Amino acid sequence: MTRQRGGASTGLFAVCALVAILAVLPIAIIVIQAFQGGTSAIRDAVSASSSRTLLRNTVLVSLVATPICGVIGVGGAWFVERTRLPGRRLWALLLVAPLTVPLFVTSYAWATLGVALQGFVGAAGIIAFTYYPIVFLLVAVSLRGLDPALEDSARSLGLNPRQVFFRVILPQLRPALLGGLLLVALDALVEFDAFVALRFQTFSLDVYAQYRLGFSTSGAAALSFFSIVLCLVLLFGEARLRGDANYTRVSRGARRPPVRYELGRWKWPVLASLAAVVAIGVGIPVGMLIRWFAGSSSAALSTATGNLQFLWPASRTTILLGVSSALVALLMALPVALLAVRHRGRFARLAERSTYLSFALPDLVGAIALSYAAVHYARFLYGSFALIVFAEALLFLPFAVVAMRATVGQIEPALEDSARALGVGPLATFRRVTLPVARPGVVAAIVLVFAFSLGDLATAQVLLPLNLYTLGTEFQANSSTVAFASAAPFAAVLIVLSMAAAYVLMSGFGTVRAFTDDERG
Amino acid sequence: MAELRCTTVAKSYGARDVLHEVDLVVPEGTLTAILGASGSGKTTLLRLIIGFIAPDRGTIAIDGSVVSAADGLHVPPDKREVGYVAQEGALFPHLTVAENVAFGLPRGERKSGSRTAEALDLVGLGSSYASRRPHELSGGEQRRVGLARALAPKPRVVLLDEPFSGLDASLRAETRDAVTSALAAEGATAVLVTHDQAEALSMGREVAVLRAGRLAQTATPTILYRAPVDLDVARFVGDAIVLPGTAAGGVVDCALGRLRTANVAAAGKIEVMIRPEQIRLGAVDGVSADVIGHRYYGPDTVLQLRLRDDARSPIAARTFDVTVPDAGDVVSVGVLGPVAVFPDPAA
Repeated sequence: MTRQRGGASTGLFAVCALVAILAVLPIAIIVIQAFQGGTSAIRDAVSASSSRTLLRNTVLVSLVATPICGVIGVGGAWFVERTRLPGRRLWALLLVAPLTVPLFVTSYAWATLGVALQGFVGAAGIIAFTYYPIVFLLVAVSLRGLDPALEDSARSLGLNPRQVFFRVILPQLRPALLGGLLLVALDALVEFDAFVALRFQTFSLDVYAQYRLGFSTSGAAALSFFSIVLCLVLLFGEARLRGDANYTRVSRGARRPPVRYELGRWKWPVLASLAAVVAIGVGIPVGMLIRWFAGSSSAALSTATGNLQFLWPASRTTILLGVSSALVALLMALPVALLAVRHRGRFARLAERSTYLSFALPDLVGAIALSYAAVHYARFLYGSFALIVFAEALLFLPFAVVAMRATVGQIEPALEDSARALGVGPLATFRRVTLPVARPGVVAAIVLVFAFSLGDLATAQVLLPLNLYTLGTEFQANSSTVAFASAAPFAAVLIVLSMAAAYVLMSGFGTVRAFTDDERG
Repeated sequence: MAELRCTTVAKSYGARDVLHEVDLVVPEGTLTAILGASGSGKTTLLRLIIGFIAPDRGTIAIDGSVVSAADGLHVPPDKREVGYVAQEGALFPHLTVAENVAFGLPRGERKSGSRTAEALDLVGLGSSYASRRPHELSGGEQRRVGLARALAPKPRVVLLDEPFSGLDASLRAETRDAVTSALAAEGATAVLVTHDQAEALSMGREVAVLRAGRLAQTATPTILYRAPVDLDVARFVGDAIVLPGTAAGGVVDCALGRLRTANVAAAGKIEVMIRPEQIRLGAVDGVSADVIGHRYYGPDTVLQLRLRDDARSPIAARTFDVTVPDAGDVVSVGVLGPVAVFPDPAA
């Protein structure tokens, strides 16, 4: 039924319009910069033979890593959510953990593991085994939302469990799966941190080189303009692919938990496969960290000890930056998520899509664009802590929106209506009903943005105020020396923080139900 | 509690008129059931009364003071003191039963818990329910908690939106009794919205039939059932046998013989409406009919009869007799009580 809300929605629309404008800002700056250098700069950048190699490298990594993420993500989600896998909660945590481990740490771990992993194999592998949790999370939530009655009906129509999976379940998972694969592909296209240690040439690295060497913002902008176009093609391609096929529940469905299948003789092979995935995703960075400590000479360890005085200030800055960015991202994401779920229409879609543009923005390029904007238009922000907080919030805004949207969508309007009828005002209703019910999403949004900011070295390198340093920048500075041991303490704290983030994320995950687009009321 | 008065309330969404000139008065301390098919505009009327939406025309007044008027006066829902029981209860999933019930109370009363216990008691739920979570309750218990939550702040009017939908028959009856007694104990002025005829007739002091956005008839259940304003309403509130006939001076002649009608003014060609339970089997001076089938419901049985003199269509007769005739038997049928008559549409 049509809903009419008075002043509240006008305010919501205004806030969302502001967020949308902020979200589009960095890309607008890049486009302007790219054209300021003249179209010839873009033509040169695009036609250079090195560009073609970079393009091929970037696209190839994406093409190889994305399907692997799809298989691991869907398989993992299925076994955790729908089978009697032993230790399901632990597996869910371990399967998500790689997402929160900073990529530059993982990257150094892989690089030191062996020369064979440097280059393409390592690049594709590191993307696949870091980003599959995105697919895992989205598919797992989607699996919970499926109506078990559909599977029962399929079984009664003579389909065996395998046929049910491919003909009934997988098609319903399509929106979640496509969404997840899109995010992985975009991340692969814009990845920077992961490839530094692997000496693998992609666009992002070249952009950084251009920026560092000549402070050539227009050259960098021209190059990144290219990668942004690539991302936009993907972003809208997915929208076309998904089209109207928003598989929403036709009926409210049977309200009971879905059946879990016995693994039977598949139990050990499944456990072994999952263990292998976890060993690669979590085992390699943690294992290498231990080796850096254990295998270091006493001379190297003494440098490490000398570095310890920087550990606390670096941790403090890192945590402060992560928490601030998460809260700012939450403030921006919440109105957009509410609007997207409650008010369907062109404006709501536009606002939501505009926040997703950050997906198409390499961290580094976004940071460069914002620093350029600050220098030219808001000098007082340049080199300030506020600017980097805003940059990180903006970069990870899409994750916050996606996380929020899931739980905000679950809030039946009848709950808020009841509160209003009980004499509670709109703001108090938001505080006492909307926010607590959406809590799993709020927590997920905060934790995700926090975890990603831990692993975001690129932004820190461009925007971090000169007198500050984070765990990431310290790790980077020390890992370029021969003695990895001196970088190890910083990596250790980062991994502990990221594991804690994964734990918080997954402890709230059990209460998340379905992410369906169905309109209620 | 207070009187609720809607005067010429109208609402449209774009070009679609949802409510036309609705006039409704719910006297203090009584329950009016709004009966309508889906899409008749009953939910819109409810949302107008609560204040989630504003009327295009007309006024809504509670206790004599206007809360909504077309000139822009609009008291927001949280200032109206209108209790609302949503479909399926809409309990807050993050709160316990007690916290749900206390939700609308001022902070001080929320802490003391006495009103919470009182409200739970009203709906027949003991203190053992206080610490439970909504998902631990059955469907019927959820509806009761929903009502307790709405009643706790002592609203001026209570609105119930299909409060028994989705409950099975026995639970439905039990919950309905609990709701009725709770509303009576509070002396509540209440509006119940439903598409279920039995529910509306059994619970409402008055029943308002909403049809395509207009109130077709507002009357006590007996008047509505015995003397509906037209055949549509007659068929909507219950099963109806409709036969052609001629009327004169309070008497009608039709295939079931000469029958009495309360409508002494009716004359000429008319349509006669008889409820199936008015048909009496084994009447001494009745007309003959063949039994062509029957459907057994437990307390009552519905027979399909074909009249010997008028074989066009079978008529239904509801009987509470313990033994009923079989298919193929011939019975003599008469009619109990006065019948309703309507102008013949063909005339």
